[in-house]
Amino acid sequence: MSVLLDVQDLQTRFQVRKGFVYAVNGVSFQLDQGDTLAVVGESGCGKSVTMLSLVRLLPPAASIESGQVLLRGEDLLQLNLRQLRDVRGGEIGMIFQDPMTSLNPFINIGTQMAEPLIYHRGMSKSEALARSAELLEMVGIPDGEARLREYPHQFSGGMRQRVMIAMSMSCEPAVLIADEPTTALDVTIQAQIVELVKELRDRSGVAVIWITHDLSVVAGIADRVIVMYAGYIVEEAPVDALFEDPRHPYTVGLMGALPSLAGETGTRLTTIGGSPPDLVDLPDFCPFHPRCPYAIDRCRKENPMLEPVIDASDGGHRAACWVDIREVELEAGAAAGSV
Amino acid sequence: MTTQEITPTDDFGIAEASRTNLWKDAFARLAANKLAVIGIIPIVLLFFIAIFGPYLTPYDFLAQDFTARLAAPSSEHWLGTDELGRDVFSRILYGARTAVAVGLVSTAISLIVGLIMGSLAGYLGGRVDMLVVWLTDMTRSMPALLLAIVINLTLKVPLEAWMEQMYLATKNGFFRQTMWVDLVLVFGALALIQWPGYARLIRGQILSIRSRNYVLAARALGMPTGRILTRYVIPNAMGPLIVAVSAGLGGAMVLESAFSFLGVGVQLPIPSWGKMISDGLRMWQTHPYLLAGPAVMMAIITVSFAWLGDGLNDALNPRQWGG
Ligand SMILES: Nc1ncnc2c1ncn2[C@@H]1O[C@H](COP(=O)(O)OP(=O)(O)OP(=O)(O)O)[C@@H](O)[C@H]1O
Ligand code: SF4
Ligand SMILES: [Mg+2]
Repeated sequence: MSVLLDVQDLQTRFQVRKGFVYAVNGVSFQLDQGDTLAVVGESGCGKSVTMLSLVRLLPPAASIESGQVLLRGEDLLQLNLRQLRDVRGGEIGMIFQDPMTSLNPFINIGTQMAEPLIYHRGMSKSEALARSAELLEMVGIPDGEARLREYPHQFSGGMRQRVMIAMSMSCEPAVLIADEPTTALDVTIQAQIVELVKELRDRSGVAVIWITHDLSVVAGIADRVIVMYAGYIVEEAPVDALFEDPRHPYTVGLMGALPSLAGETGTRLTTIGGSPPDLVDLPDFCPFHPRCPYAIDRCRKENPMLEPVIDASDGGHRAACWVDIREVELEAGAAAGSV
Repeated sequence: MTTQEITPTDDFGIAEASRTNLWKDAFARLAANKLAVIGIIPIVLLFFIAIFGPYLTPYDFLAQDFTARLAAPSSEHWLGTDELGRDVFSRILYGARTAVAVGLVSTAISLIVGLIMGSLAGYLGGRVDMLVVWLTDMTRSMPALLLAIVINLTLKVPLEAWMEQMYLATKNGFFRQTMWVDLVLVFGALALIQWPGYARLIRGQILSIRSRNYVLAARALGMPTGRILTRYVIPNAMGPLIVAVSAGLGGAMVLESAFSFLGVGVQLPIPSWGKMISDGLRMWQTHPYLLAGPAVMMAIITVSFAWLGDGLNDALNPRQWGG
């Protein structure tokens, strides 16, 4: 598989009143053609900002400080606004978390869906509408032609997300970025949306970046997974390797199986205690150390780099941690009694 | 208040109702609002009278009948006559013109100023935004009537002097009509008082719409900025603006009458309800109908605009469309 999207050392920060918020701190990853990459992490760890940085859809306070976003070798960060607009929607489609507010309440679905087709594909209005009707049926909305004349308020949340998916896929992008597309939906609808995206992906060969903080979705859809914390990638692995052999304490924590070294009884926690840091300074320590049961002295003095893990089952398994947690886990069990 | 109806949905969440157009939809809601519909009638009448008033009046608004000064209402003079024997009914009809002119012109001026300042603030942000916010705060912190008096005291004399100079220079009769000075001062004062409201509203609208998800989604689809402005930002800002303008029109007419008490109003000979009220107030114990006519008209129009504004607010409120 050839590399479609190659992100190198991406850094994005926000100017705030008292300085900066370091939202994305040197993120690098690759996405292969037709692959699905899941991005997981708690709220505020920089998932959305990373993805918005790729096509520079950031709020005014944000600036991309360094990095490259190579789409088929071309750096998107160097494009002018006009070229970038061709990429947005044309090469990279996006869907967002809240389908209820993602459609313009003033324009009917047909006109809204037709616009990108007219703009990117040079279709006439009637061609674009005909195509939009097909697209609606493709995403599981029957009677597409009639529904084109309806307005967003006549659609439920799940239906709106289907419309958003149809729109973002309408110009056959090479990459579809889905930023927590199911978070705002009912559980049953969530599953339907996941299935829909899988189906479209398999049919069209689009590469997908799927942002979520729900690991259970990841197993079903992703080929590779990136785990983010405090604006860093802390672990990256093929999906099986990640679930079978997680190497970063934070990943373990997300899976709900973090042993408590501090606790007397050594009971297992289902959530990670504490909350992510503020990101107001670039840390010269491991940003996870205040919450990490494995933390050693070194964690408080040096920030670990993302490096290939020892004894990896797969060459692409990387983690940013000073400790080999497989060894500590054994010691932790032994230590639990003595504390 | 209309009750918000919950549309039934099937498994796919397809709304049963087949409403197709938001504007039609809003119009239907407005038409269903009794108070708003009642309010529209006097407003339509007001505009009708403002346009055709001079053809409807039984008497010229200036015609003085010294034999019938301060006459009580009769079949000849429906609402009586004033001190100079002028027909009150005719003057009220003619006054509608002043009210509408004052309302429309001052609202138009303040809306244009507000649109420019508000958009600049909302779009450029930073220093410009701070400056506009500061200006609106300053203006709004000053009592409206005080502001009007200050404008009148400081500008009326120089303006009139300038008009006189222009007359002497050009011999153009236009510059002898002090009426224009009055109108400029009234419009100016009203616009000065009202623009900050519009500016803040538009600024807020732009800020909030710009951060809405559908704008982000449209940008993510590569839509050009101009398209996003005309198709996404402006239509979504219209509802609150229409409501504000409706309320503002009524508000301007009331303010104009308040100004009249302070001598900042439209001076005679143009009839203005405000001026008639303030004149009538001097004799309200002996000749209450002098006050009653214009006061009742003013009250009806104010209430009508308020009801219409309320109805528009309910009909156009985008929050009700969201869900
Ligand atoms: N406009 C902004 N101004 C300042 N800081 C911001 C702004 N937007 C985001 N941030 C900061 O950037 C960091 C990353 O935010 P981001 O939205 O990428 O998180 P996320 O991982 O997508 O979280 P979620 O799961 O809640 O969507 C957060 O710590 C947040 O505080
Ligand atoms: S580097 Fe240290 S603190 Fe950071 S995750 Fe690893 S063990 Fe925990
Ligand atoms: Mg996010």
